Amino acid sequence: MSTGGHVKLESLCKSFDDVTAVDHISVEIEAGEFFSLLGPSGCGKTTTLRMVAGFEPPTSGQILLDGVDVGSWPPHRRQVNTVFQSYALFPFLTVGENVAFGMKYKSVPKSEVNTRVGEALELVQLSGYEKRRPNQLSGGQQQRVALARALVLRPSVLLLDEPLGALDAKLRRTLQVELGALQEQVGITFLYVTHDQEEALTMSDRLAVMNHGRIAQLGPPEEVYNEPADAYVADFLGVSNLMDAQVEPGGSGKECCRLRLGEFIVEAEAGQLDATGSVKVAIRPERIHLHAYEDGGSNRVPGMVERLVFLGSTTQVFLRLASGSALQTLVRNDGAELPYSQGTPVSVGLPADALRVLPDPGISVAEIRDETLGEELLDVTGTAST
Amino acid sequence: MAVHQGTHDRRYRGLWMGLTLPGAIALLVLFVAPFYVMLSVAGGGINEFFQTVVPVWNPLHWSSWNLSAVWHDIFGHGSFIGGAAVRTLIYTAIATAISLAIAYPVAYFVSRYGGRRKTLFLVLLIAPFWVSYMMRMLAWIDLLQQGGFVNSALSFFGLPGNTDWLGGKSVTVILGLVYGYIPYVILVLYAFLDRIDQSLIEAARDLGLSRWRTFWHVTLRLSKPAIIAGTFITALPMLGDYFTNQLMSGAPGTTMIGNAIEGLLEAPGETGQGAVLALMVLVVLLIPMLYYVISTARSSRDYA
Amino acid sequence: MASTIGQPAAAPSRAEPVVQRRLPGRNPWRRPWGMEGFTWLYIIWSIVPIAIAVLFSFNKGASQATWQGFSTKWYIGNQVTSVLHNPSLHHAVIQTLILAALTTVICVPIGVAFAIGIDRWRSRTSSGLNFVMIFSFVIPELLLAVALFLLVTQALTFIKLGTPAETAALVVWNLSWPAIIVRARLVSIGRSYEEAAADLGASRLGAIRRVLIPMLMPAIFASAVLVFASTVDDFVIVEQVSSTANTQPMSVLIYSNVHGGLSGPSLNALATIMLVVSLLAALIGFVGYRWMSRGERTKGGADALTGIAGI
Repeated sequence: MSTGGHVKLESLCKSFDDVTAVDHISVEIEAGEFFSLLGPSGCGKTTTLRMVAGFEPPTSGQILLDGVDVGSWPPHRRQVNTVFQSYALFPFLTVGENVAFGMKYKSVPKSEVNTRVGEALELVQLSGYEKRRPNQLSGGQQQRVALARALVLRPSVLLLDEPLGALDAKLRRTLQVELGALQEQVGITFLYVTHDQEEALTMSDRLAVMNHGRIAQLGPPEEVYNEPADAYVADFLGVSNLMDAQVEPGGSGKECCRLRLGEFIVEAEAGQLDATGSVKVAIRPERIHLHAYEDGGSNRVPGMVERLVFLGSTTQVFLRLASGSALQTLVRNDGAELPYSQGTPVSVGLPADALRVLPDPGISVAEIRDETLGEELLDVTGTAST
Repeated sequence: MAVHQGTHDRRYRGLWMGLTLPGAIALLVLFVAPFYVMLSVAGGGINEFFQTVVPVWNPLHWSSWNLSAVWHDIFGHGSFIGGAAVRTLIYTAIATAISLAIAYPVAYFVSRYGGRRKTLFLVLLIAPFWVSYMMRMLAWIDLLQQGGFVNSALSFFGLPGNTDWLGGKSVTVILGLVYGYIPYVILVLYAFLDRIDQSLIEAARDLGLSRWRTFWHVTLRLSKPAIIAGTFITALPMLGDYFTNQLMSGAPGTTMIGNAIEGLLEAPGETGQGAVLALMVLVVLLIPMLYYVISTARSSRDYA
Repeated sequence: MASTIGQPAAAPSRAEPVVQRRLPGRNPWRRPWGMEGFTWLYIIWSIVPIAIAVLFSFNKGASQATWQGFSTKWYIGNQVTSVLHNPSLHHAVIQTLILAALTTVICVPIGVAFAIGIDRWRSRTSSGLNFVMIFSFVIPELLLAVALFLLVTQALTFIKLGTPAETAALVVWNLSWPAIIVRARLVSIGRSYEEAAADLGASRLGAIRRVLIPMLMPAIFASAVLVFASTVDDFVIVEQVSSTANTQPMSVLIYSNVHGGLSGPSLNALATIMLVVSLLAALIGFVGYRWMSRGERTKGGADALTGIAGI
């Protein structure tokens, strides 16, 4: 376990010609924390990571590692190591030689090298693979060698650039859990970059959602998920069921806010309750309740079931409210037959404490959706570019 | 990611410049400078006594004597060079056309239908590269001699078998050119055709085009860059060829521009004219060469 | 709602005789016999003459056309005319080998360094240099040979005609092989490996030495083999800047003796030796290339071959 690993980014900026990739990022990461930078392609997260690693000099701002400004230091002099998206394992060396590569520069005595290589491989559950070549390994195994190669040098901070991006879904989920456990075991700071919100939510102690080079929200996963600060964050993490709404004149207040959805009035008790005019409203799918059409009750909007999608353990229900908004909810498949099917009119219950009022960014719900997708649609290989 | 590689490299600029230096010196001293010398010789005079060349280094003092002599020789009465120039163009055009006509089906077959034997075919097609030009010409000289196989075979079939193939026939020279340069064409065509995405052709068939139509409208259109590259790779060097003619014929009736240049260079007192002619050929070829260089440089930059 | 778009036609409800309908026209998956035959014809036309020439180098008689029995006299037997004994002949062999070795040893490092430098140094000057280098690849050899001849006889006269001038000329003529091949490989390698090395503690030069060069080795090796073979076969430039008969390599010797001079089969013998040297170089190149890139995924032999051919 190594001490240190406190990272502070102070108003960090990076521009390429006239494109600003990173726009005044200020973050403080505690030693030993698992911190994620989350965002779609093009939001600046990888550029930020590369600046911390030393591959890009910042245009302005400071990078402080344990209090020392390392912004102008070359990468080989910083006490940080990187796990690359493409692993970058040296193909002309064996696994053991790959892992041992960096120790040459730390003047580790020859006798100790083999021991430490063995320890590192054991840490990533690849004991005995020293003599193999990288091209004989699977994707997941290569990723672990890359991890071992970085960890063997005992850095104070480990930087990970979408390391699970090239793996298939099931393997990714397994490795997510392993990585989280590994970080706890080793105890060093992990700075993790990803576009997959599930990854970030699963593994992080804290995460920062980035958009166009800026941080939209920073906090622990539960907080960012349950209390998104704006429509973009709400829509990026999971399904947000964003709707357009108008605050009723005189309806805004400290503890609740009266909103108009089309012809219907509902009350919201979360978010920016003192807002006026047009706002966005979000509600997580798991908080929506479906009732029979004739049932009465507060905060109910009539609607219709548009489509049912069987997901295995749950069923996704696509709804259309009478006000025009499209919503989704999830229902557990607990053996009981669903009382509705495609085309059934229902009464949609939106509990007040689950309705979140968010400031209106001035663009439509569809446009917000496009923003959270970033350029992912165009990137056929599935790898993000920044 | 590739767009922003430059920022990190700027730190080590000196290192990159240093690495480039020996190559740069070699290019400047041994490639660029020689052409300046050639200009100086072309614009220079002759030492009347020794009949050797006296180069004139100052561009302001260059004389046009050599130039007018050559010009006269090309366009004037009894032009020898003019004929050679025309003949060169004709030979090159015919030889390039024949080469392409042979190379395309072969390259097409190997790239599309090679299958498991693709490697074998490639080995056989690349083999001539490793055989020197001399040997390949020598082989045909052996066969085309008066008592050689070609004549024997012809007389075996009842055709006249005593033609002097090596005595100055255009056919022989063209044969030599085709035989000599065709491996380059095949390989360039193969490299391009191999990269044509098979699914484009399959899509065309799927959408209803017949085999022939698919070939004509899709494959051939996609082969355009290949054919252009192949033409350049063949025609440009071929225009400067002189040794094929020398080996296969050696008679004045089949001289090419290259032979003319050689001849002038070696003749005492006419070296300057040889330089002029070489420069003229260079100027004529400059535009296609520039075109090729620019498109190559541009496409390699697209990858970086 | 059931939609009929995209639904296949309903299967027959009871067993009906299946209708066989042959489409007019030929089998669309037939083998292209015509093209295959044409290809083989080409291959035969391409290789057989060479085989015959090699064969005749073992001819007992002095003819290059009529076979008179097997003998190795042109190589080692005959006291006067064989390659082993005739001084100008075996000097030619040695000269070719020396020239090829010298050129390769000088040209390849310069070319590799040039490729790396040009790739990293982004400026107008470097683009200009790259431009000049491609130009040297495309220009007809005769023009360059003439220019170099004039350079060496009129300006830089300290470079003597003969081996020094030949080497210098061949180095610049072949510079584009390593420059282009290594550059292409550099572009496909990308930056991540050097960045990984730097991340792990290597300085810039250290990263190049420990990571980049090993990864470039197959390309460097391939270009070295190409330079070697190209020099063995080279004729135009060498002839232009050569001096006395004793320093003539095999290619020039054959050329000057084709229309008379040395008796036929000894030329064949010489040419066969050239052939063997080139083929050996090719073989070493192929095997070496495969061995060096064993750590990376190769798509098969075909790829290595086109790699060596520089495409």
